[in-house]
Amino acid sequence: MSEHAPTLVLDRASVAYGDVPVLEELHGVVHEGEAVALIGPNGAGKSTFIKALLGLVPVVRGRIEVLGRPPAQARRDVAYVPQADTLDPDFPVSVEQVVMMGRYRRIGWLRRPSAADRAEVADALEQVGLAGRARDRFGTLSGGQRQRVLLARAIAAKPRMLLLDEPFNGVDAVSQHALLEAIGALKAQGASVVVSTHDLAIAHLACDEVCLLNRHQFGFGPTGDVLTPERLRATYGGHALELRGDRVIVTQT
Amino acid sequence: MNWLDSTVHRALVEAVLVGVLGGVVGVFVIARRLPFFTMALTHATFPGIVVAAMLGVNLYLGGGLFGLLVVAAVLAFGRGRGQDFTTATGIALSGGFALGVVLVSAQDGFTRDLAAYTVGDVLAVGTGDLVATAAVAVGVLLLLALLGKELLLAAFDPVGAAALGLPTVLLDFALLAVVEVTVVATVPALGTILAVALIVGPAATARLLTDRLAPLFPLAAAIGVACALAGVWVSTQWDVATGASIALFVGLVFGAAFLGTAVRGRVRRAAAVRA
Repeated sequence: MSEHAPTLVLDRASVAYGDVPVLEELHGVVHEGEAVALIGPNGAGKSTFIKALLGLVPVVRGRIEVLGRPPAQARRDVAYVPQADTLDPDFPVSVEQVVMMGRYRRIGWLRRPSAADRAEVADALEQVGLAGRARDRFGTLSGGQRQRVLLARAIAAKPRMLLLDEPFNGVDAVSQHALLEAIGALKAQGASVVVSTHDLAIAHLACDEVCLLNRHQFGFGPTGDVLTPERLRATYGGHALELRGDRVIVTQT
Repeated sequence: MNWLDSTVHRALVEAVLVGVLGGVVGVFVIARRLPFFTMALTHATFPGIVVAAMLGVNLYLGGGLFGLLVVAAVLAFGRGRGQDFTTATGIALSGGFALGVVLVSAQDGFTRDLAAYTVGDVLAVGTGDLVATAAVAVGVLLLLALLGKELLLAAFDPVGAAALGLPTVLLDFALLAVVEVTVVATVPALGTILAVALIVGPAATARLLTDRLAPLFPLAAAIGVACALAGVWVSTQWDVATGASIALFVGLVFGAAFLGTAVRGRVRRAAAVRA
């Protein structure tokens, strides 16, 4: 993979809200077409990691480079997928209106979506398998379907880097499969993917690299090398782990 | 004789203007869950009115300028560590009203003006009030049309808006300022206490009737205009308070829509069970 250009460079970076450091000593490189899983317990700083890549939380020490630029200057080519259940399900907005939000940056201020923008929206919904739900209200869809709509919004933005915050939480098998397919397609087109998850099986399945996080970094590298029982135990603070062959199960997060 | 020389004609025009303005702005207020903020603004602009009365300048200009300060203060405080927007709004509500009361109690001589300010009187609006309301309506509708999609995103998904690099603080300020000038523009007709009815009620009613964003705006505006005109008609027929009549119609229409949708939902569920 190293013949591809680096898209994310973490150089002994620490990020902080005000004076309170949240993540320290982040160090690693992600290349074009690679996916990295952020693994760690609740409160480990996974969401903060993603916000730092968006330039929404400042880097106080070291350096983070996204697509060769400081994070805040790379936003045009970065798409962010929030957790669906953080959004108000009563909000009067349709599925296609949500996906169109991914085009706003390209449409620009004071302008209206063009036919080309509408075609991109239809295309993105097709890719997540929800073409038939375009006119439905966002809140009427299931949690997994809403997560797919938010991924479609990111696809419509044509990103070079995709950031997903816990996209598989509470998602049914059908939606999980659709999400994994769509993420795989983006990777094949050369996009880098950063995804936070509790699910080690998904990290194995979908990601080339893993970053173990709990306030600071407990490992960053190829999935097979980093997802070891010892490192996971260190990351999760010694909480019980059960090992079954090459599978590791975290029994308490 | 000019058509606008008639008190009733002026009242009808004002009713249409505040009905449209309140209805359209109300859609954002409801979607963004800002009714409490809107209520707080009506109270927090009070000291600005009192100061304007003391200085002898236009009451609504005083209220409007003071309200913008309140909006900025609520935004700044609400973004602080460990604070939230609702807390900041509650403090602005009580603090603003208390300051107004203290200022009033230290004075005497303008209680009549202030009574009109609290309950309003659409039959007393002058041509100047009409021009001011029309100017606010045009400005607000233009701003909402131009920034509509960015305001929509910032309302629905603030972190997503920030992730796109949109200036979310400015967008929040723009929306709250729109609500604020709408409150101030609605005050001559309904007064501070009742202005919130015409901003929250028609949009909430429209929201019961449709799930889609685009028809919400004309529907809320139509409901607002209908309630305002009905209120003016009732108050001229039976000589009762106009602002209160308008607010009562808003409440009645919301109640009817609520019952209607509840009954319809029950019938549908029953039909689904039989099927």
